[in-house]
Amino acid sequence: MAHARPIATTRSATGIPTPRLAVWWILASEVVIFGGLLGAYLMHRLGHPEWAEAASHTQTWIGALNTFVLLTSSFTAVLAHQAAEKGNGKQAAKFLGFTIIGALLFLVIKSYEWTTEILAGYTITANNFWSFYYTAAGLHALHVIAGAIIMGFVAVDAFRGRELHRVEIIGIYWHFVDVVWIFLFPLLYIAK
Amino acid sequence: MSENIHHDDHGHDDHHVNYTKIYLTLLVLFVISVLGPELGIRWVTLITAFGIAIVKARLVVNNFMHLAWEKRIVKWVLATSLILMFLMVAGVAPDVMNHEGNNWENVAAKAEVERGLAYMAGYGGEEEEEGEAEVVVAAGFNAEVSFGQICATCHGAGGAGDGVAGAALDPPPASFTDPAFWETRDRERIKTVIRDGAAAVGGSALMAPWGALYTEEQLDQVTDYVMSFNPGNE
Repeated sequence: MAHARPIATTRSATGIPTPRLAVWWILASEVVIFGGLLGAYLMHRLGHPEWAEAASHTQTWIGALNTFVLLTSSFTAVLAHQAAEKGNGKQAAKFLGFTIIGALLFLVIKSYEWTTEILAGYTITANNFWSFYYTAAGLHALHVIAGAIIMGFVAVDAFRGRELHRVEIIGIYWHFVDVVWIFLFPLLYIAK
Repeated sequence: MSENIHHDDHGHDDHHVNYTKIYLTLLVLFVISVLGPELGIRWVTLITAFGIAIVKARLVVNNFMHLAWEKRIVKWVLATSLILMFLMVAGVAPDVMNHEGNNWENVAAKAEVERGLAYMAGYGGEEEEEGEAEVVVAAGFNAEVSFGQICATCHGAGGAGDGVAGAALDPPPASFTDPAFWETRDRERIKTVIRDGAAAVGGSALMAPWGALYTEEQLDQVTDYVMSFNPGNE
């Protein structure tokens, strides 16, 4: 065996590089996970007028700030992809670093937000609205954490000029996390 | 995105998106989506909050995730996912969003709406401590009404075990007007069964636990109401 390179990364019936096809499949499953959760939330919200009272306690300006942070981190992620396409690994790593900072900032803001809410008595068991609130935002936050960790590995490789195609793959995932928040924001913070 | 369609078959690397322009557009839309709902007009809120969310998501998916230039199979995979998701939501929507139908009633959901609305009426949406809220709900609570809404479905409004939904149950619902029933029951046991279900004391699992519906004080009131059916008390 002269070539130890695995076939799966070189063969492509669809004409799409396998890693990119794989991330799209992941996102297809994520659509059902988040879609089902948000759909369930929306149906209950419409069937329960009394949820409006609970919903009026979410802190819009914190949600808005986090929307801005995630949008910006998406922007830096796509700039990283642009740099990687030009073969500039160091530049790509720098922009991925900015995106990771955005992820950390998002989590810090979220920690502050949840702390104030839990201290005020709005815990996950307070009522069904808060159960959905913490479940949906929590599942999303887990995706932010996972994305930031993976991005760290990709950035280190990219800095050394290796596996630059991964910058685009993690970027696609990251934009999806941003898209989920784009819908979570009006559902949890705006519609009162 | 229509001007980009002709790029479709040219591979992945030759599209030129002005990312900064997309980002600034997203920021402008974001500001509108926050300010629009501040007006407090319902249709403006719907359009600015949810309509703009869809526009923003499309911008990100097409330009940042490059779905606009992706091969068609990816769009089909994602569309299948979306369709299945909507199918599931549409399938359960009638059960979740309605609280009653031709021959069924979601008693727990109705009770929750009622309690929530009573709480809102008591405080007009003002921020209050949790503990105080429960007192208000308890003050507006009527054990007889609650029995009529929940227990009477099976046990009958008069407590004789002749409720409509109870007719088909085996074993049949207990009759509180039967002196024999009270020979083996005391107040503590009645309260336990209401709170934890009859299975908790070795009885039928058909008597469901209702503890989540009541505060401790309300539970006492309902227990007292059930106790009042005992013919031996008169």
